[in-house]
Amino acid sequence: MTFLQAMLLAVLQGVSELFPISSLGHTVLLPALLGWKIDRGDPTFLAFVVALHFGTALALVAFYRQDWIRIVRGLFASVVRGRIGGDPDARLGWLLVIGTLPLALAGVFLEKPVRQFFGSPALVAGFLILNACVMFAGERLRRVERGPGSKPARPLALLPYASGAQIGFSQAFALLPGISRSGASIVAGLLFDLTHEDAARFSFLLATPAIAAASILEFPRLLVPEAHAVLVEALTGGLLAAVTAYASVAFLTRYFRSNDLRPFGWYCLIFGTVCLTLALMKVIV
Amino acid sequence: MKLLAVVIAAACFLAAAMYWTGAWQIGTSHPGPHHLHAVVFAVIGVLSLVWFRFQSARS
Repeated sequence: MTFLQAMLLAVLQGVSELFPISSLGHTVLLPALLGWKIDRGDPTFLAFVVALHFGTALALVAFYRQDWIRIVRGLFASVVRGRIGGDPDARLGWLLVIGTLPLALAGVFLEKPVRQFFGSPALVAGFLILNACVMFAGERLRRVERGPGSKPARPLALLPYASGAQIGFSQAFALLPGISRSGASIVAGLLFDLTHEDAARFSFLLATPAIAAASILEFPRLLVPEAHAVLVEALTGGLLAAVTAYASVAFLTRYFRSNDLRPFGWYCLIFGTVCLTLALMKVIV
Repeated sequence: MKLLAVVIAAACFLAAAMYWTGAWQIGTSHPGPHHLHAVVFAVIGVLSLVWFRFQSARS
């Protein structure tokens, strides 16, 4: 992996981790399209990926720092008093805890076998098309439910815990490369009557513990002797991923105030179809 | 419910210890200690104790 390839992967990670277009799918398809030979099991590459995740997690924590301070305070206060009560920060905190558990369990038990079986560019491109269909279907159902005389949107503060768990469960589908974690959770949020803005906010808040925990638990990979060979790439890439992730989340939180998922659906449909065609023609393998 | 919370917590801490030492290989891809599995079970164990705390405060 050259320095330029490393920086392109860093930008790709920072952008695609939060945009509902599947970062995992893009890190399989783009190197295949560009003909890059990357050994995904190589310790230097794994160390580099950990640095990118670390940068993304830092960006999310920095962007939502005020929210996280209130959420963590609320969580501790609720444990001390033994009840959540009417504290909206504690309630949001427990929604995030409940929503994170399904992904944590699925990630631990299913990540390796799933990636082993579904890592080919053709399958990833197929899942990217499926990701587009999920977003289109979610938006369609949303518009049907939001028709005249429908019930008003539910504020995030009033989301039931069971719905939070189901939104969290939807993230587990993103273990399939090509299915977007944020896309799945935003669609699930919309189906539980959240606005696009609240569904995106909940999705990004849910992403923070998942990405942060993954990067902390994988941190020892950065300390292996082989990782010293990519120290400059890892540090620069991590910083670049942090900057692009921060810019992405800032853009998306503003975007979802008045827009929907359909443009991302069209992008996934077109890019997925092109990649699937090329994979079936054996142009990319 | 308080008893259930304690039982789940105990089971999770036991599973965490078994994965940490490598004595348990359920759902793993290779033999040996599985620290990631252990951490996840330990976290669920702690959350079960929090649930117990909520139940205790209610009664």
